[in-house]
Amino acid sequence: MRNIWLIAKREYLERVRTRAFLISTLLIPLLMGGGIVVSVMGTSKTKSTSRITIVSRDQLLAVDLQKELEHSKGSEMTVDVISPGNSTTRATLDSMLADRQIDGYLWITPGAQPNERPAFSYTPRSAGDIATKATITTALRTVLMREQLAHDGMVANEVDSLMQPVKVDTTQAGKNADTTSSFVAIYVLFFLMYMVILLYGMNVARSIIEEKTSRVFEILLATITPEEMMAGKVIGVGSVGLTQVAVWLLTAILLTSGSWLQAVAGQSAHISLSAAQIVYFVVFFLLGYLLYSSIAAALGAMVNSEQELQQLNMFLVMPLAGCMFALGPVISNPSSPVSRVISLIPFCTPLIMYLRISLAPPPAWEIGLSIFLMVVTIYGILWCASRIYRVGILMYGKRPNLSEIMRWLKYS
Amino acid sequence: MAIVQLQNVSKAYDTKVAVDDLSFEIAPGSMFGLLGPNGSGKTSSIRMMIGMTLPDTGLVSLFGQPFDRKSVYRVGYLPEERGLYKKMKVIDQLIFLGQLHGLDAVTASKRAHGWCEKMEITEAIPKKTEELSKGMQQKIQFIAALLHEPELIIMDEPFSGLDPVNAALLQNTLLDLNRQGRTVLFSTHRMDQVEKLCDTICLIHRGRKVLAGEMQEIKARYPKNRVEMVFEGDPGFLNHPVVESAKNYNGMAEIRLREGGDAQLLLADAVSKARITRFEVMEPTLEEIFIETVGDRVDA
Repeated sequence: MRNIWLIAKREYLERVRTRAFLISTLLIPLLMGGGIVVSVMGTSKTKSTSRITIVSRDQLLAVDLQKELEHSKGSEMTVDVISPGNSTTRATLDSMLADRQIDGYLWITPGAQPNERPAFSYTPRSAGDIATKATITTALRTVLMREQLAHDGMVANEVDSLMQPVKVDTTQAGKNADTTSSFVAIYVLFFLMYMVILLYGMNVARSIIEEKTSRVFEILLATITPEEMMAGKVIGVGSVGLTQVAVWLLTAILLTSGSWLQAVAGQSAHISLSAAQIVYFVVFFLLGYLLYSSIAAALGAMVNSEQELQQLNMFLVMPLAGCMFALGPVISNPSSPVSRVISLIPFCTPLIMYLRISLAPPPAWEIGLSIFLMVVTIYGILWCASRIYRVGILMYGKRPNLSEIMRWLKYS
Repeated sequence: MAIVQLQNVSKAYDTKVAVDDLSFEIAPGSMFGLLGPNGSGKTSSIRMMIGMTLPDTGLVSLFGQPFDRKSVYRVGYLPEERGLYKKMKVIDQLIFLGQLHGLDAVTASKRAHGWCEKMEITEAIPKKTEELSKGMQQKIQFIAALLHEPELIIMDEPFSGLDPVNAALLQNTLLDLNRQGRTVLFSTHRMDQVEKLCDTICLIHRGRKVLAGEMQEIKARYPKNRVEMVFEGDPGFLNHPVVESAKNYNGMAEIRLREGGDAQLLLADAVSKARITRFEVMEPTLEEIFIETVGDRVDA
């Protein structure tokens, strides 16, 4: 154990102390935070503050629309009404557009018949201002509908209450958690695992290759076993990734939970998770990470250079991508035999079992069994990796083919 | 009790037999030379001694007991293929390696400083390994093998790549350690380099032992039939009946005597014909012994 700890500690400190680590750890949250700030500012910007002019012979409709655009939830525009327009109006408005005094004008031509809808034509200053056009369209629809309802004899209050948006609550049997947040957590877990494995799993492989090319292993193997070395590497290099991810996640949580964000975004941007879900999230994330790092270690043990490693990259990503296909069936029926079997396959367990726990908690023994199987698999992969490593470097120093690997596993 | 004992040890990799039924013992306090040409199985034998690989058949004992991982802390190993972490500082590296050999960080650091002073590389202590010359890196590895004060010191090709001054420094250090009672095992194909150092040797060739025993005793087994001399005057004495063959390089002659030929007779004859500045009856070198022995085997 002491040796594993020593190896892990060295790997960890050597990596964490580098400038590259510091920069990437700080830079990503900065970019992330910057991105959020920009997009938040962007959303408030699309809550259009444009200045437009409405030209209409029907003054009632124009004023209604003006009110809707100036005071409704979706927009805070400045609207002028010209009613009715005369022959020079269009030319005046066009020159105002050119002078940037207004952002656009809406020309309403009444229908030829009394019951016919008027025609609307919006002339924006820049063709790219889609947001304003969308806001106007929505507002128009509301106004026209309200007008029609009022025309049919409905009182204003009734009209407003009828036009309230509908809210549907989802409740899970036995608890009040919002299932959408479970899905969000699943996707967060999936992409977190995917990203972390891609970014850091390969670091484990690389660090093993580095030891081979520098021939440091000759000294190390004089006192420690290849198993200890592999385990130490996976833990040490792995912790570096975890440290970084922890920093990022914390930043993300701080950023998204900040009340300012909700104040600005105005929507429920938070994710609610139960304590048990968080614990399972951490457990399955760690186990999944360890499992895939072990595979990376085995790949590193097989090859002698980074180029060769590139070719084997897919073995790391493929099982994970396979899980993606299983997501659908499991989500639609989390307790079916197929879902249960898939969730017990160690390579899929971290994602699928977590998904099942979030959707419809499986019996405790299944969770226990899945964790046990994962631990055994991790141990098995590390054992094979250290075999391949030792036999490979001490005896041949070349990349083995599959039959050789099988033979090497039997060597002592 | 032997420090190291190999009993009928064999090791094959796929089809290549690296070590073939090899047996030898290393006595405590000895300077032992494991000698043989490249690819003769030296490194393979060493790896089995320290448990990096296990023998296919046969038995390896360390410190009088069958091999046990705990004994590796009593061994210091300088591998033939040197390697250190390039980006790591020398002192951190030495502390790390010391800790792997069971030391605590403080002791390791203290001893590392002491050793760096002794090896005259104190200026390297705060540097990164990649900034050091090859010779310096080799000294660092040498220190790393000795930090934990091992009872058995295994040096695989310790002097390769070192200049004569540094090679002498390493040699003297090893002789000192040996005087303090440590057992030293050299493995090398440069037999001339360890000839003066070793008291016991084992010569191997193609994984098999061809010759083993105490150096003096082995050398005594081989006749002293070589003479080197420097003279002025008539070289006619080189045709003396005891001479089997002779090469004369302008007054410096290398002579090979016939079996049973007495060097004294040659000297007497030479004195009567020429002025002798030097006349030396040479001991056979290990290399000659090796070539003669292996040649015999090949003929047989």
